[in-house]
Amino acid sequence: MTILLATVMTYLFYRLTKQLNKKITFPLFHPLLLTPILIILVITLFNIPAAKYMDGAAFLTHMLGPATIAFAIPIYKHLALLKKHLSLIMISITAGSLIAIFTSYGLSMLLHIDRNFLISVLPRSITTPIAMEISKDIGGLPTLTTVFVIITGIVGGVMGPAVIKRFAITSPIAQGLALGMSAHGVGTNKAMDYGEQATTFSTLAMILAATITIVLGKFLIPTLVAFI
Amino acid sequence: MRIGTIIVQILFIHLFLFLAIALKQLFAIPLPASIIGLVLLFLALVLKIVKLEWVEKGANWLMAELLLFFIPSAVGIVNYNEIASWQGVQIVIIIGISTFIVMSLTAFIADWIEKKGVHVE
Repeated sequence: MTILLATVMTYLFYRLTKQLNKKITFPLFHPLLLTPILIILVITLFNIPAAKYMDGAAFLTHMLGPATIAFAIPIYKHLALLKKHLSLIMISITAGSLIAIFTSYGLSMLLHIDRNFLISVLPRSITTPIAMEISKDIGGLPTLTTVFVIITGIVGGVMGPAVIKRFAITSPIAQGLALGMSAHGVGTNKAMDYGEQATTFSTLAMILAATITIVLGKFLIPTLVAFI
Repeated sequence: MRIGTIIVQILFIHLFLFLAIALKQLFAIPLPASIIGLVLLFLALVLKIVKLEWVEKGANWLMAELLLFFIPSAVGIVNYNEIASWQGVQIVIIIGISTFIVMSLTAFIADWIEKKGVHVE
């Protein structure tokens, strides 16, 4: 599949679902859920292997790099805010990272999830590139981890607004930290609906969660894995 | 031209990506290049080497369209037949429950600390 065709098709479907999502706020119309489904339908219909499509759309995946770098801007713009709430951020995200690992581990152990799946799901709450590195380190399958990270993003993006509304989370700090901690980049993208402050805190949560999980990947996670 | 500005600024942001890739290779930094690039751009802004208006429009576009860049990887899920098994269903449920707990508890903890007004400077 040519680069142009794959990129243009992805972009058009994405625009379409985004527009649809604006008009009909139904959680399952989330662009990260509906667009891949439409693309999978099309490539299945035309007998195109998923790997061929992904090669064609590699340019879009590449843009994740610059997009991650772009998040330096909200942090820079709200540096004073970050300094003021440093301990709040540190405590919330350390707790959040531990909760992410322990609940994933505990529930998987409870349901006797297969070893490869279990190890690969542990770093699921952080941004894809770092999750892959950690997965490799702890003996998981990095590609499987990517799938779990994406599922986490979709689930978090869909459930985020409902959780924020249901539990009446009104502070942009708490909104941002919760979204960035639980749904990495996808959560941070959602945080943009709640204003620039929420976006900043979400970005910080995403970066800090990744950093903390790197450290936990060296000490805590190997111990947990030893018990499987 | 708005689109022109965005494209030029995205190309400029790529400089930080390339610099990050070089640094990562050179010093064997165990972080992804994109995170190293984020730190580099942040430092460049703080040290006033780069002005905010040089990158802001491009960066805003990248951040707003972030989901687009995840889509090809999401399509890759079809390569995992295991997902379409009982194990796969269970793991999706686990991820759902775990994400819900992480999201709500993080929000509660942050909210609680903020209301208590604990600030250790």
